[in-house]
Amino acid sequence: MLQSPTNDESRVRVPNTNKGQYSPNPNPKGDKKQNRVIRFLNSQKVAPYVFITPFIVSFLLLTLYPTIKAFTMSFQRVLPGQSHFIGWNNYERIFNPTFYKALQNTTIYVVLTVVILVVVPIVLSVILDSKLVKFKTLFRASLFIPSLTSVIVAGTIFRLIFGESDASAANQIIGIFGMEPIEWRYNSWSAMFLMVVLCCWRWMGVNMLYFLAGLQNIPKELYEAAEIDGANVFQKFYYVTLPFLKPITIFVITISIINGFRMFEESFVYWETSSPGNIGTTVVGYIYQQGIQQNDLGFGAAIGVVLMLIIFVISIIQLLLTGAFKRSDE
Amino acid sequence: MKKYLLFILAVAFSILLTACGGNNKSSGGGGEANASETVGEDIEGATELTFWTYQEQHMKIFKSAAERWNEEYPDRPIKLVAETYPYDQHHNNLLMAMQSGSGGPDIADIEVGRFSNFLQGDIQLEPMNEYMEPLKDVLIPSRIDMYSKDGNYYGVPTHLGATVVYYNQEIMDEAGVDIDSIKTWDDYVEAGKQVVEKTGVPMTTVETDEHWSYWPLVSQSGSDFFDENGELILSNEKNVKTLQFLQDMVYESEIAVTAPGGFHHSEEYYGFMNDGGAASLMMPMWYMGRFIDYMPDLKGKMVMKPMPLWEGSDAKTAGMGGTGTVVTKTSDNVDLAKEFLAYAKLSEEGSIALWKQLGFTPVRTDVWDSPELQEDNEYFDYFGDYIWDMVSEMSAEVSGIKLTPYTADVITELQSNVMHSVIREKSQTPKEALKQAEESIRGKMEAGE
Amino acid sequence: MERKSASLYKWLATLAFALISFIALFPILGLIISSFRSSSELMRNGMSLTFNLSELNINNYSYIFTQASEYWNWYGNSLIISTLTIVLSLFFSSMVGYALALYEFKGRNVLFVLVLFIIMVPFEILMLPLYQLMINIQLIDTYFGVMMPLIVAPIAVFFFRQYALGLPKALMDAARIDGCTEYGVFFKIMMPLMLPSFAAMAILQGLNSWNNFLWPLLVLRSNDMFTLPIGLATLLTPYGNNYDVLIAGSVMTIIPIVILFLFFQKYFVSGLTVGGVKG
Repeated sequence: MLQSPTNDESRVRVPNTNKGQYSPNPNPKGDKKQNRVIRFLNSQKVAPYVFITPFIVSFLLLTLYPTIKAFTMSFQRVLPGQSHFIGWNNYERIFNPTFYKALQNTTIYVVLTVVILVVVPIVLSVILDSKLVKFKTLFRASLFIPSLTSVIVAGTIFRLIFGESDASAANQIIGIFGMEPIEWRYNSWSAMFLMVVLCCWRWMGVNMLYFLAGLQNIPKELYEAAEIDGANVFQKFYYVTLPFLKPITIFVITISIINGFRMFEESFVYWETSSPGNIGTTVVGYIYQQGIQQNDLGFGAAIGVVLMLIIFVISIIQLLLTGAFKRSDE
Repeated sequence: MKKYLLFILAVAFSILLTACGGNNKSSGGGGEANASETVGEDIEGATELTFWTYQEQHMKIFKSAAERWNEEYPDRPIKLVAETYPYDQHHNNLLMAMQSGSGGPDIADIEVGRFSNFLQGDIQLEPMNEYMEPLKDVLIPSRIDMYSKDGNYYGVPTHLGATVVYYNQEIMDEAGVDIDSIKTWDDYVEAGKQVVEKTGVPMTTVETDEHWSYWPLVSQSGSDFFDENGELILSNEKNVKTLQFLQDMVYESEIAVTAPGGFHHSEEYYGFMNDGGAASLMMPMWYMGRFIDYMPDLKGKMVMKPMPLWEGSDAKTAGMGGTGTVVTKTSDNVDLAKEFLAYAKLSEEGSIALWKQLGFTPVRTDVWDSPELQEDNEYFDYFGDYIWDMVSEMSAEVSGIKLTPYTADVITELQSNVMHSVIREKSQTPKEALKQAEESIRGKMEAGE
Repeated sequence: MERKSASLYKWLATLAFALISFIALFPILGLIISSFRSSSELMRNGMSLTFNLSELNINNYSYIFTQASEYWNWYGNSLIISTLTIVLSLFFSSMVGYALALYEFKGRNVLFVLVLFIIMVPFEILMLPLYQLMINIQLIDTYFGVMMPLIVAPIAVFFFRQYALGLPKALMDAARIDGCTEYGVFFKIMMPLMLPSFAAMAILQGLNSWNNFLWPLLVLRSNDMFTLPIGLATLLTPYGNNYDVLIAGSVMTIIPIVILFLFFQKYFVSGLTVGGVKG
């Protein structure tokens, strides 16, 4: 661990670390050498590279290498001891009904979660931030608490709430409105509903916190100025609040899209790895099912590569549209 | 702030420590089965063998075998470490261990639906021929052939897996149906109509998330998903007809409902059946244990019968499901592991233990009339004492199943597409659904060649 | 008149939030109540709105405290792994994020794109090659194997970078003039300024690790190495049939975290308020 030695010069406001470190060194030769090393490491040119070393190492080991391996595998039939290349065969097989279904599920899930998890938290945070609501801290905390649960625990709870018997909470509630009990885990629409509800329940409070944080950055004077100009509540929201929330919105959207495409656990807790009629199958679920359960690693890798391309294209488009590459203070 | 955090962490840890400390004492004792258990840990110089399973109950067999072994062979004792993992994780872990050639157990259970995954490429399992071949005359052939490839027997079977129909005598009586009069599936449907009419209770349930309602019927009809040569015949005429039969029971004659919870092993289903939700149920004999454990109210009411016959056939049952226990190549003590596995599951005592401890019908026919199997036990209490007569009656016609590297794909297709769209949603005809599944599997088979 | 309608709005808004909060907390409350009921009954019929007060009992808890030693094992593993992950990942990720934000150096933009790239690469498609790697370097079934992908968390790097962008560069120069090394600048001057973001990331990383599922599922093999989510998932299958531990155990997974959160709340919010410490 890099740590600057303590400083005994109280003259300066900021500690001087160089001096204290090498001056007591009794060996002048080593001193020089060490000095050079320290100089080198300490130059403004080199230091950033030292800082980013952990990232480089982790990138090479945990991303680049597996990525290359995944690409290679996608052209192989991987069997114990006898992997061999089979050309584009895995890719040719991808475009089958199950994959389309999985992609369709995933896409719908992404769209729904992104929309819900951006719009609702913005509205909630604006209301919560206004003077209208009492007990702010309490509400903020209550909405956040669901995110503390793991998907497994949350999924267990939701399975119980949305049980298919008419005695389950969800069916009791819709029963009040005179509706027939629903077999939640077996209809296409309710399957999607279950996954989206689980995700939204867990993330609503977190996203609301992000937006609440963003709201603190808006200078109060702007609202006052807008009021003087005669803006109503909605105009103030549209012309003052939203532009200031843009960076945080981009962040939230980016994360939501990516997490949506990676989604696996929300489906796993309801149906484990194979859902009836693939109503809960997601792309990652399909990778898991084919690659790990069916032992078709090459095929799984190929689906992964396709998924990666999809995510990549969407993210690039999204980042270009929103200009996240620019430094925010420029 | 920090102080609070530290305080909380300290409290959390102290709770933990006391909890763990308190429990160390009890973990050695018997009682409730744990996910991990060790036999013979206090024996000096014992060779360690690890056993992985996905079914906690299976550990019983190996534990008791290890205890017997250590008494019988004190000169080469065994320290058995048995571990239970959840179904998926168990098979995935095992597969990956086999693939990487390290980290695997010595002995492992593999469920029949996953077994074929382990027969691909360089097989990482040890053939058990030296123990299986001498017993060939007394083992039910179809149950050992399924775990074999190219003349090598890799898996030691667990049970006969004969499929039967469990009738709820009370409901049948109420409907005025004599169970013995049900000879064919046509009779069964007719009886079903009467049951529905008289009692309002469905005759049976059909799984939509699993394949136990379909595969036994397919096998009993003399068909299968693959033929002798491993060719995919999923959508052949017989299979389409069989699936149509199931669909008709639900939608035409309306004597069947889809299983609550989607399959016959769900907690919802146990509750449903226990309350007399359906008059009968077709499942293999290993399902007896589920009745005893989860449906206590049906004790003394359930009667097992061989499957009704298909027109023009006299196959009375189908051997279904099962677990092949294997010795892996990654084992450090292959010979000992093999010998112990045979001792645990193929020996006479082992076979008897399978019945006495788990209620499984051993595949070793010569122990069926041993006196130990006639002793009263909870299975006799629950179902009656006709069990062995029925088994002997059926055993001549146990139809086998053909496993190929693509069996797991067929099962996945059945579970996630075919059963759902044909039985639950009725959105596809049996033919369409089976054809579509066949195409997708064929794609994979061609890739593998 | 106007005042009256304003207070009406106030009541309405507060009431609406009370309702929303109730909906948010209902599942957890339901779970807590259910944990005092017979668990197999629960799995059969689902969680119902109505129940018999007399059927409530503490059997599930007495079982978990006296017999489920495994559960406590999982608990300990989760605690250890989460704590280590927080410490390591905060240390490394903040360094990287800081450098990306405040230094001009060759390849900076490329690196930042790489960070975004890693966020975008679904870890799930890399899990198999990674798993093989873990076997090769013998990290299977170890704490470190579980933690490894989380240690330099791209999302944390991204966050620290965004946060550090808001830090005054002038302060760095001032520190340099006063004789600080580059590392001194970071550890003594800038890192303390970034502390609020540390608190936020500690919570996020801790939660990620505490709730991590797919990767530990592959890496962890033996029961005594399992983390809570893996252990609990084993109980969810029809073959696991130990619903007592599942339900009561789930409750006890949540409660400590909720307590921690209640203490940490302010830190979390201020950590997200990137601009709040400017100047």
